[in-house]
Amino acid sequence: MGRNGLLALLVWEVIGRLGLIHGALPAPSAIAIKVWADRADYPPHVWATLQASGAGFAIGNLVAILAGMAFVLFPRLMQLARGVNIALFALPPLVVAPILSLVLEGMAPRITLAALGVYFVTMSATVAGLMHYDRRAADLVAAYGGGRLAVLRLVQLRGAVPAILSGFRVAAPNAVLGAILAEFGGGGRWGLGAYLLGSLGRADPARLWGIGLCATAIAGASYAVFALISARLLGSSRAISLNPTLPPVATQDPAWLRLTLGLGSALLPFALWWGVLAILAAPEMIAKTPLAVATYLTSPDTAPQAWARLSEALAETLPIAGLGLILGLGLAFALAVSGRLMPGFTRAFLPVALVTQTMPLVALTPLLVLMLGRGPALTLWVTISVTFFPAYVLMAQGLAQVPQGAMYVAHAYGARGWREMRLISIPASLPWAFAAARLTVPRALLGVMIAEWLATGQGLGALLNQSRGYLDFGMIWSIATLTVLLSVALYHAVLMVERRVLRRLGMAAAE
Amino acid sequence: MTAPAGIALTGLAKTYQGRGQVVEALRDVTLTCAPGSFTALIGPSGCGKSTVLRVALGLEPLNAGRVLIGGQPPEQARAVGVTGVAFQDAALLPWRTVERNIALPLEALGRDVSPHRARIRELIALVGLKGYETALPGELSGGMRQRVAIARALVTEPQVLFLDEPFGALDQILRRQMNIELQRIWAETGATALLVTHGIDEAVFLADRVVVMQARPGRITAEIAIPFPRPRAPALFTDPAFHQMEDRIAEALHGA
Ligand SMILES: Nc1ncnc2c1ncn2[C@@H]1O[C@H](COP(=O)(O)OP(=O)(O)OP(=O)(O)O)[C@@H](O)[C@H]1O
Ligand SMILES: [Mg+2]
Repeated sequence: MGRNGLLALLVWEVIGRLGLIHGALPAPSAIAIKVWADRADYPPHVWATLQASGAGFAIGNLVAILAGMAFVLFPRLMQLARGVNIALFALPPLVVAPILSLVLEGMAPRITLAALGVYFVTMSATVAGLMHYDRRAADLVAAYGGGRLAVLRLVQLRGAVPAILSGFRVAAPNAVLGAILAEFGGGGRWGLGAYLLGSLGRADPARLWGIGLCATAIAGASYAVFALISARLLGSSRAISLNPTLPPVATQDPAWLRLTLGLGSALLPFALWWGVLAILAAPEMIAKTPLAVATYLTSPDTAPQAWARLSEALAETLPIAGLGLILGLGLAFALAVSGRLMPGFTRAFLPVALVTQTMPLVALTPLLVLMLGRGPALTLWVTISVTFFPAYVLMAQGLAQVPQGAMYVAHAYGARGWREMRLISIPASLPWAFAAARLTVPRALLGVMIAEWLATGQGLGALLNQSRGYLDFGMIWSIATLTVLLSVALYHAVLMVERRVLRRLGMAAAE
Repeated sequence: MTAPAGIALTGLAKTYQGRGQVVEALRDVTLTCAPGSFTALIGPSGCGKSTVLRVALGLEPLNAGRVLIGGQPPEQARAVGVTGVAFQDAALLPWRTVERNIALPLEALGRDVSPHRARIRELIALVGLKGYETALPGELSGGMRQRVAIARALVTEPQVLFLDEPFGALDQILRRQMNIELQRIWAETGATALLVTHGIDEAVFLADRVVVMQARPGRITAEIAIPFPRPRAPALFTDPAFHQMEDRIAEALHGA
């Protein structure tokens, strides 16, 4: 990696010095010189971003871990909270940022957005970690009279630490991204997002690169810190063997209870939305309740115009989001599979994947604009890049977890290379591929909207930006509602296909 | 040591709802173990031996039948530390040292560990793991892990001891040694023992009575008393009477 990295830097330097990409890609040395020249500007911005993301990270994780524990202790609560969880996950930060800065003040919107970026990741990691425990050890504690809490304390919690730490690892860059997005979309003077916004108009690529790389460094460092901690902590206490015992089959609830829980889970997000606005006592003109949004989208005064603009924007946003998603996932799968066949390639590529994954989207997009212009190519590229990397990492992980025993069996019968992949690796990593698809759907939508907002001036992203300019609060809230509903719908669509396929194959979903 | 408790299993029936099909794991299993007795449970793989233990411990709901341990339902018996158990797989917590793994039952019972430190050291020595007190399970061999599990089963000084193939991962020589050790420990504690095993020699050497199970549905098909006097010496393993007894059980097992 060291030599390759140096080589890449050198090539970059040459390209930059020769001005090969219309001066949009400055040489690393030029960026470094610019950062040095701007050195007095950075500390307050960096400090503001660190404060907001740090506070958000702490709060979001605390809530997430407590929620995860509650969900594992009371599975029905988890069913009830499903709607809220998925909505929180699908909430595009770009859309939420302006809304948060309308109803909250000071640092609060940034902290909230950072916490929102953390919650789902850590919560699902906590739940997965707590559920994936050694059933025999739990039986043992129960055999000595330990109750649910004793099992949680003695067996599950400590066992969940690796999962929770890997949650932290992914969540940390999310917190940075959330804070920067809120700074960017919510105004305010300090923070890297604000700095970026202020520098956009100046046609100074070296400055934009400097800010982008600084944001990436912070996000990357936060990732690295937790990667290091988990490597330290988990050294010698890794699980001895996989426990093949199936988790206890959930006792089938009666139909009426399942129906109630499902209905409750669908309604709870709206109730929460209402409740939060009521607690904040935000002015009605700005803070729209679900009812107000529904009225806006149905009343004859506003509805026809609103729907006309919304459907026009959707027609521009959706196809490219879908295309980007499919290309990103397809590429990720192809590369992950071929990586299994060519491990050297994966080893060289994974660090790049990790760096780009932690690169805050807002910081990335202006740089891409410089290189790719403002056309659909840019939008597509942003979408592919935001879906490709997380999907790739997930799928590569899935492929790496194919049990060695199964591989030996395949090898013993002479299956190698492609045949081994087809017989074992691909089916075994299918749950991960589906998980990747589910988890990247909202990202695809977010990627398109950021590109539209910052560059192309089309679609939902641009409509959101305009509506902010016109103080059209009804429209802002409608876009937020619509994007969340869309993400949730797509998420469920993938989930349905996934359940079908996996049940036929007798596999469990990877959360 | 208080007077040991007996085990009374009456008319146990248990079915598992697998994916698609229903597995009848136990049908009308009745088994009584007198206080202080040693019973071995033997049978082909999948016949329901582990299920009997799990049900007897109250870890698994029953479709029919009743379990009494020392006259109490299993939930009550285990809550006061009457029962000790070693499962088929050692089920050690990978992040706890040998010592702390052995202390786990005490913690599950909500007892203070510190007064038992000396006893834990004794148990470690008993299972031949002196020097490994602070090792993690990942650093032990399979057989060593199982010995930790046995020490753990003894830490609460249980009156009823459930052992599910505790020596499955040990080599023949160590297994013999552990058999002799187990007999000694059992005689010392006076506990009621129910041992699941695949080894006919082990069953004959240790038990007062061997209970044979068959599969599909899981049921008891024979009970054979083992009359050899105690304490039994290692020489018994080579005694012709011992081999005759082994043959009888093999017959009951394989229906020869
Ligand atoms: N959790 C479960 N779900 C479904 N079926 C189960 C479950 N546990 C056990 N069974 C089934 O019940 C039967 C008895 O299992 P059990 O573990 O008691 O066998 P065993 O006699 O201990 O076998 P072995 O000697 O291999 O340990 C088997 O057919 C098994 O498939
Ligand atoms: Mg068994």
